Amino acid sequence: CSQYQKALKKPDVGEKFRVGEEMYNKGKFAKANKLFAQIVPNYRGKPQAEKLMFLYAKTYFEMKDYYLASYQFERFASAYPQSEKVEEASFLSGKSAYMLSPVYSKDQTETRDAIEKLQSFINLYPESEFLADANELVRELDFKLERKAFEIAKQYNKIAGYNGDYTASIKAFDNFILDFPGSTYREEAYFYKLDSAFKMAMNSVETKKEERLENVKLHHKNYKKNYSEYERMEDADKMIEEVIKELEKYRTKS
Amino acid sequence: QDNIKKGEKYVIGGISVLGNTSFSEQTIITYSGLRKGEDVIIPGDKISAAIKKLWNSNLFNNIEIYINKIEGNEVYLEIRLEDLPEINEVKINGIKKSKKDKIIEENTLNKGVKVTENLLTTTKNYLENKYKKEGFYNTKVSINTIDVTEIDTLQTSTKAMNMVVNIDKGKKVKVKEIVFNGNDAIKDSKLKKAMKNTKQKNITHVLKRSKYIEADYQTDLNSVVDKFKENGYRDARITSDSLVVLDQKNVALYINLEEGEIYRFGKIDFIGNTVYSDDVLKRILRINPGDTYNGILLEKRIADTENPEAVDITNLYQNNGYLFSTINTVEVSAEGNVIDLEIRISEGKPVYFNNVTVVGNDVTNDHVIYRELHTRPGQLYNKSNVIRTIRELSQLGFFDPALLTTDFPNPNPNEGTIDLEYTVVETGSSQIELQGGYGGGGFIGTLGLSFNNFSLRNILNPKAYKPVPRGDGQKLALRLQASQFYQTYSFSFTEPWLGGEKPVQFSTSVSHTKQFLYNSQTGKADKDKAFNITGISVGIAKRLNAPDNYFTLSQAVSYQHYNLKNYNTGLFTFGDGYSNNLAYTIGLTRNSTYNDPVFPVGGSNFSVSAKLTLPYSLFNGVDYNALKHEREDLEDIVQDPTYSIPERQEANQGIAEIDQERFKWLEFYKIKFKAEWYQEIVKKLVLKPSAEFGFLGAYNQDRGDIPFERFFLGGDGLGSYSLDGRESIALRGYPNQSIQPVDANGNPTNDGGTIYNKFSLELRYPITLKQQAKIFVLGFMEGGISFNNFNDYSPYDLKRSAGVGLRVFMPAFGLLGIDFGYGFDPIPGQSSPNGWETHFIIGQQF
Repeated sequence: CSQYQKALKKPDVGEKFRVGEEMYNKGKFAKANKLFAQIVPNYRGKPQAEKLMFLYAKTYFEMKDYYLASYQFERFASAYPQSEKVEEASFLSGKSAYMLSPVYSKDQTETRDAIEKLQSFINLYPESEFLADANELVRELDFKLERKAFEIAKQYNKIAGYNGDYTASIKAFDNFILDFPGSTYREEAYFYKLDSAFKMAMNSVETKKEERLENVKLHHKNYKKNYSEYERMEDADKMIEEVIKELEKYRTKS
Repeated sequence: QDNIKKGEKYVIGGISVLGNTSFSEQTIITYSGLRKGEDVIIPGDKISAAIKKLWNSNLFNNIEIYINKIEGNEVYLEIRLEDLPEINEVKINGIKKSKKDKIIEENTLNKGVKVTENLLTTTKNYLENKYKKEGFYNTKVSINTIDVTEIDTLQTSTKAMNMVVNIDKGKKVKVKEIVFNGNDAIKDSKLKKAMKNTKQKNITHVLKRSKYIEADYQTDLNSVVDKFKENGYRDARITSDSLVVLDQKNVALYINLEEGEIYRFGKIDFIGNTVYSDDVLKRILRINPGDTYNGILLEKRIADTENPEAVDITNLYQNNGYLFSTINTVEVSAEGNVIDLEIRISEGKPVYFNNVTVVGNDVTNDHVIYRELHTRPGQLYNKSNVIRTIRELSQLGFFDPALLTTDFPNPNPNEGTIDLEYTVVETGSSQIELQGGYGGGGFIGTLGLSFNNFSLRNILNPKAYKPVPRGDGQKLALRLQASQFYQTYSFSFTEPWLGGEKPVQFSTSVSHTKQFLYNSQTGKADKDKAFNITGISVGIAKRLNAPDNYFTLSQAVSYQHYNLKNYNTGLFTFGDGYSNNLAYTIGLTRNSTYNDPVFPVGGSNFSVSAKLTLPYSLFNGVDYNALKHEREDLEDIVQDPTYSIPERQEANQGIAEIDQERFKWLEFYKIKFKAEWYQEIVKKLVLKPSAEFGFLGAYNQDRGDIPFERFFLGGDGLGSYSLDGRESIALRGYPNQSIQPVDANGNPTNDGGTIYNKFSLELRYPITLKQQAKIFVLGFMEGGISFNNFNDYSPYDLKRSAGVGLRVFMPAFGLLGIDFGYGFDPIPGQSSPNGWETHFIIGQQF
């Protein structure tokens, strides 16, 4: 019978704490967690609880049960605001939430939650040793939201040939540009806006065609203003050549 | 106490607690919020706040705070209170035992709950109202409490009470009579009819309740007034009404009315409308000057609060982007009982969607959902598009339809924009089928796995296995079925939006079937006599936008390899050999049936398809004409008993060789046509006529028709396992696959037909169409016939039948049904009518 098994069965609370800590130090977090879980109620309101609760939360983190880890760290931070570990706990609470954030193409409730937690950590402890890490995580999470919005707008562009709705893509990219001013996708967003406007004009009903062709010129100008050095400028220019050619028909008519 | 200076500030020098309480002094003081050393003004806010706080705890009674003594500017306070008693036991008299627990639960009369005056009163009122609502107008409830003192495990005593609730429901009170006074224009009987829930006792109204329920009666009084209003008496009112108790069981209702005068509609002007002309609005209003005034109707045509889908003016604006429009009706004149109206419309800006988002998709990826949206950013707000999107998202089968909701955050009347958020809740869309049973002479085991929201691109990503990669809307199905006589393995995959640009459905499947012959000596399967079929198919299907968007065009290429090993049956002349079937299928369907796919009430469903192989005989250089003659000669030898047995066996061998050559690569074309219509005759009674036709032909008549891919008429039409590409066509009233063509001598064959047609007329009536179970009954008349070549074809020489059936659809089981059919004609080869047959139906067949 191992020391762990004995501690698990014996009612001795202090022994459980001691063995649990030993397991924790050996990296056997699941075992440590099991022992700690048994004694958490016994230490409620006692001075040792501070250490116990932190280790308990950490075992969840190490066991990759980030949902409970985030919750336990958050509880720790609110229960022991004077603790020297409070900074680490609130960072780990945010990091646990970060770990729960799913791929960008699914519901981002957890992502927003993680950003909120990490951001409040950054605001509270601007001098923290974890600051660089926290900033990096927030950046990564922000990028997920950014990519989500971008991919959705891009999908509108992709399926517009089927449903005929080019406005959706243009509007969605407009919102994207507004919501994510520093985005790395900004150039691409402007390009796809141009692309959607171009396709809308070329597939347009006759009555609105001229107006829409003129509109493409505006989009082109907007793109060119900032991104004339970019690779896609060539494609953009090709579009505008076609637009000008189409427009000539209207010139000669009138 | 006389030395208190009112309004003076004191410091609390100490607090003590007095009274019968099980709580510790410290707890009560903490709870009161008063602290030693704190400043207080006497009398002042802090003291009353402390009393309030203690009251709100719902734990104490008789709470008072006294001043014990004053020393200088220090004041010593004393809190006096008592614990509220707890409920120990509740006794309820006068009702059934089974109802007691519910009452305890609804009023939270559980053990340990604190007894307050409030609790006693609300419980009493609740019970009285509850029974009055059920028609027990004379219900009386009394609650008695008995003090008991309880000692709990910690040896502290708590004040406790036993509660006795006496309920005397009395007799159910019925309405014996309803008497109206003052009505000339509308007859008593019509007014009584308008009272939907309060009915006079009447033997002919067995089903209608004549209970007296106060709340219902009040609504019904409004209905009576509404009845007058609908008929032009807009000033009608009830001057008084009284309830007279006749005896313990009966009451009479007297209603005194004042009708007022009759009014008519006068001029109706629309003001403020720019988007829709007066004519358009008038057509929706459908009220003309001179009509009897009907305020209820007017209100309904402007904004029907009962039916959100109604055709009214509000919806006209709301559905077309004018979300911030408001409509007010103003009476401008009522001269001579003619009411002139002004309908004042403030249209507001048209509203466009700004952000459109989806939340709650923990499994399904965005692109699968967003491609189904009919509400996109920049589009004009349109209610019917929202409803359509909700419907189509639920049809995906990935989300719980009941929990699919929408929200419209950030409305901005100045910009004319609004956001739209769909909230979805994922449901398990995978199915596992594991079953075993006896059939076909032995145990059959089936294992089926189908994943309806699969993600193929994540198949190599170990993190995505939860427990299988999901979220891309693809379908993956695996099926294994085995008994001692056959084994089937199949795999299929479907991607509904190939390439992501258009809804072009791509599907592929692979299957392998092994079939063994029965060994009559051992009574088991003979593993040496086998028939193996391996098949693969790839297809695409796409919805067409022209001529209308009900059309779907599908194309598929399939290949099947048949391998016979010592497998001699009537069907195959070559017992050892093989055959290949490479075919291209093109099909066009138009499905416009609507509402419920299980029980359509209208629309039609047409499909036409052609399955073709290459015309090998044109270029493979085989002289099939010569082979045909050679085969005929050999057949003569086989038939002729003057030849010796070895000679005849050799001839048989020759036929097998020739047939192997003929069917090395199957050469055929198959054309099928099917049409069905749904027509609602009277409410919910649906007539469904249908017709179908199929033809299997050969390019080269010398090479001849193939023994595969044929039509088998009769029975339930369930394709048990399509061994050889055969198609089972249902024809109720006859045994399965019994309607075989007859040969030149009038003898029935058993290889199926190459041409068939069928007509059917079905009448359906739903019993229930609820989400959990849809049940309908049907009656049918149908007829069908099959032949082996066009020369014999006489499409109206039908085998007829008629009968009745029942269908039950439950989401968990699919469609189950039973049909009883009577066949009026004899099965080929017999002379008397076939008579009754019973068919069990699994899945959608008819």
